[in-house]
Amino acid sequence: MSSDKLSEERISAFIDDELDATEKEAVFEALSQDGELRQQACELRQLSELVRHAYSDPPASERFQKGKPRRVSPLGQAAAAALLLLFGGLIGWVSHNPQGMAAKVSDMHAMVWGEDDRAFHSTSLADATAHNELKRVILHLNTSSPARFEKALNTAEQLLRKYASDSHGAEIEVVANASAIKLLRSGYSPFASRVRALQERYFNLTFLACKDAMDHIRELEDLKSDVRLLPGVEVTPSALEHILERMNEGWVYLNV
Amino acid sequence: MNVIANLCKHQQFKRTLADYRENLYRIAYSWCHNPALADDLVQEALAKALKNSSQLRDQKTIKAWLYRILSNCWRDHFRRSRDCVDVDDVVLVEQDTPDLKHDRNQIVQRVRDAIALLPMGQRQVISLVDLEGCSYIEVAQILDVPIGTVMSRLSRARKALKERLLAAELPGDSSVHRLRTAK
Repeated sequence: MSSDKLSEERISAFIDDELDATEKEAVFEALSQDGELRQQACELRQLSELVRHAYSDPPASERFQKGKPRRVSPLGQAAAAALLLLFGGLIGWVSHNPQGMAAKVSDMHAMVWGEDDRAFHSTSLADATAHNELKRVILHLNTSSPARFEKALNTAEQLLRKYASDSHGAEIEVVANASAIKLLRSGYSPFASRVRALQERYFNLTFLACKDAMDHIRELEDLKSDVRLLPGVEVTPSALEHILERMNEGWVYLNV
Repeated sequence: MNVIANLCKHQQFKRTLADYRENLYRIAYSWCHNPALADDLVQEALAKALKNSSQLRDQKTIKAWLYRILSNCWRDHFRRSRDCVDVDDVVLVEQDTPDLKHDRNQIVQRVRDAIALLPMGQRQVISLVDLEGCSYIEVAQILDVPIGTVMSRLSRARKALKERLLAAELPGDSSVHRLRTAK
């Protein structure tokens, strides 16, 4: 009786793919010799399929769905709207004071926003990268403005030229997300030749496009395949995550 | 920047939870056979998951972690309502639903009925293994029982289902009686 029970558990484990190779072999061997056992395994598999079939489409909870819209009273909506406004205001207030906030994390922002030309200031960068052996800078673009893209390219080139003589050199990444993807898109970007020239000249300059934003464009334009980028442009799953990762690694961040 | 990083993380975690909602609902429904209750359980489990997101150390184990929370919610549900609801009463509630009576003869309904007659421990194991493809080890972790118990419950559950679904038709009345337990 106990051996029967054991074998049932084992057949169950067999159909659930829970056995190691040796055990599996033993079961295969037994199955080939015993028709009844084969039948048993077959039935167990059939049951497994039946269970899956029975719950492949569970009924939706009508009570829950019906109750949902009624639960939000006009007063509740007003409260939610007020809360949202308050929250939005709070976010706005916090983000308009980036220097105070960022200063705690690093001194990066101090050198980012030269208010006169909104470009890189060498002295500030020197401060920011003084602790790093490598001068590693990440340039972030999120608008399709060609002027800004050009500024980013100029800044990148300036940096690369400046640190070319440095024993450690610099490492620069230009990350584009949202509508900035357009400027790295093959057939759309007015900077194709400039990007290529920079890529050829500086091996330590990388262009990255955000996959999320690319997917968004693909959806919008109803494209069958992925958005085509300029040659040599790499893809990162999420620009935001990539930037955060880089910043954690000690990179200097510049929002162009 | 930390604030933004945390926000992003939180958003991503919420998206992951939303992806699991359907699976959790299916499992919860297979346990209680009551759509409204299943929804409540999933809601409660997701709320707990959000609140205790820091407890999840490894993202890879999120599936087992969520089912474990759901299983705890299910157990708590019975603890809360022990005075008025018996495990088996939930099954009876389902049998009263008119539209379910209507398609009683359909294969799906027959399987659900047969599952409903299984003891709760067996029902949980078979649903996690067959519906969600959990490994035995995962099920043992989710339900907090030894792996041997998982195997024996599964084997017994399948044996019972086999008798009810694949063997010669049993008179329906006798199987209904079997689900009542002495208090």
